[in-house]
Amino acid sequence: MKKITKILSLLILMILITNFASAQSRRERKILFNSMYNYEISPVGVGMDGTKVFKVWGYGKNVGEAVMDAKANAVAACIFKGLPGGAGAAPTPALCSESGAENKYADYFEKFFEVGGKYLQYIALTNDADPAGPDRLKIKKGYKVAIYAQVMYDALRRELEANGIARKLDSRF
Amino acid sequence: MKKIFITTLLIFTSVIFFGQAKKPTIMVMPSDQYCLSRGFKLTFTNQGMTQTLPDYRAAMQSDPNLRLVITKMGQMMADRGFPLKDLEAEMRNMMQESAESSMLTSSSSGSEMAESPIDVLKRVAKADIILDLDFDLKAQGPSKYMVFNLRGLDAYTAKQVSGVAGAGRPSTSATPEILMEEAVLSHMDSFNAGLMRHFDDLFENGREVKVLVKVFNNWGENLESEFESAGETKELSFIIEDWFADNCVKGRFNLSDATENQMRFEQVRIPVMKLQSGRERAVDTRSFVSDLRKHLTDKYQIQSKLYLRGLGEAWLILGEK
Repeated sequence: MKKITKILSLLILMILITNFASAQSRRERKILFNSMYNYEISPVGVGMDGTKVFKVWGYGKNVGEAVMDAKANAVAACIFKGLPGGAGAAPTPALCSESGAENKYADYFEKFFEVGGKYLQYIALTNDADPAGPDRLKIKKGYKVAIYAQVMYDALRRELEANGIARKLDSRF
Repeated sequence: MKKIFITTLLIFTSVIFFGQAKKPTIMVMPSDQYCLSRGFKLTFTNQGMTQTLPDYRAAMQSDPNLRLVITKMGQMMADRGFPLKDLEAEMRNMMQESAESSMLTSSSSGSEMAESPIDVLKRVAKADIILDLDFDLKAQGPSKYMVFNLRGLDAYTAKQVSGVAGAGRPSTSATPEILMEEAVLSHMDSFNAGLMRHFDDLFENGREVKVLVKVFNNWGENLESEFESAGETKELSFIIEDWFADNCVKGRFNLSDATENQMRFEQVRIPVMKLQSGRERAVDTRSFVSDLRKHLTDKYQIQSKLYLRGLGEAWLILGEK
């Protein structure tokens, strides 16, 4: 009897440990999806004067939501992360070079990135039809989609400079 | 009425008392390699040695690609608050100045303007930051691609403060003009981020310049001579070194060479602004070294000549003016 109790308690402990570990990885995954730094970008060429063109991914419960998330990610990437080089385009540094700008100007960015917010003004062109093929992936509880976005980079820079979030090149003179 | 008066007074006071740092001038120049490889060169014999120099005037007058790239860069820099100094216009202006200088005379006595050979030698196009530009259109089978190389050189130190280089994507259909425009558009944001880092460093740690202290042959003293101040006797070289330690930003400088006849100070970090008569004033190499000259005259009665050699180098020659 004593032996059975010992084996049972050991089994319960093992189940608990396994559950805890998987719960943690689920939480980590959730954090990863909600992360403001998790933008997946792939350059596709050099944009016309004052613009940047690239492929950007977004997540959502349905395709429409994922496309809107991708649009917000496109603008956010230009502001906080910068764009990698490739396909003939040189790397572009982030517009906000200040560390922790997303927290420092949280009020501004919350309004800027709200649903239907001002960020949409800086997306000039996307393949707005529902992405298909490899650009549309069904994942657990939703979709991961890629869109081709053209961001009005210079206009976005001027907007941030006017609001004191990005520094002008001649700001110290 | 009182309120309006106070507000106006405050605005006026702030304008007077808070000056602005001198905005650096930026000029694009084709690199020596670009000019020489395309035949824009001047060859002459100097004391038996054949010398080849880039002919910027010929390059600007006969290379449409160069003009296109410079115009595009100028447009982007102006948008960021830094209109570029134009090399072609600057050279034209200097020619005009030279002609006017040789013709101008006083209306009363007919005297010509004083101009030493050094003045003539110093009449060259100057900018605080030179954008050294080089690009080349290359072919790979039926495709063409652009290789672009842009370096931002600080004229004060000749150090590279920003730079971008890279090859564009090969294309069979794009015209050379489009490839050139793409190269500029693609690289300028990264280049400007480098410039911004340089400006931040400038304000944080001061502008980097070079100062040489030399001695006139007929002075009778040298840098090892001892001078007395406030009951303390010190060698002149140590007095000068102490002055640099007290006046450089964060005491930063490097005394790379010191003999009885000369001291070579490199990586001297001078402040961008200083307070003078209650006003903030921009500091340049000349005004910084002028303060040293004043210190030596007032405290040790040493006369000296201040000679500005380029934007970022000054010589202080002790003994006489």
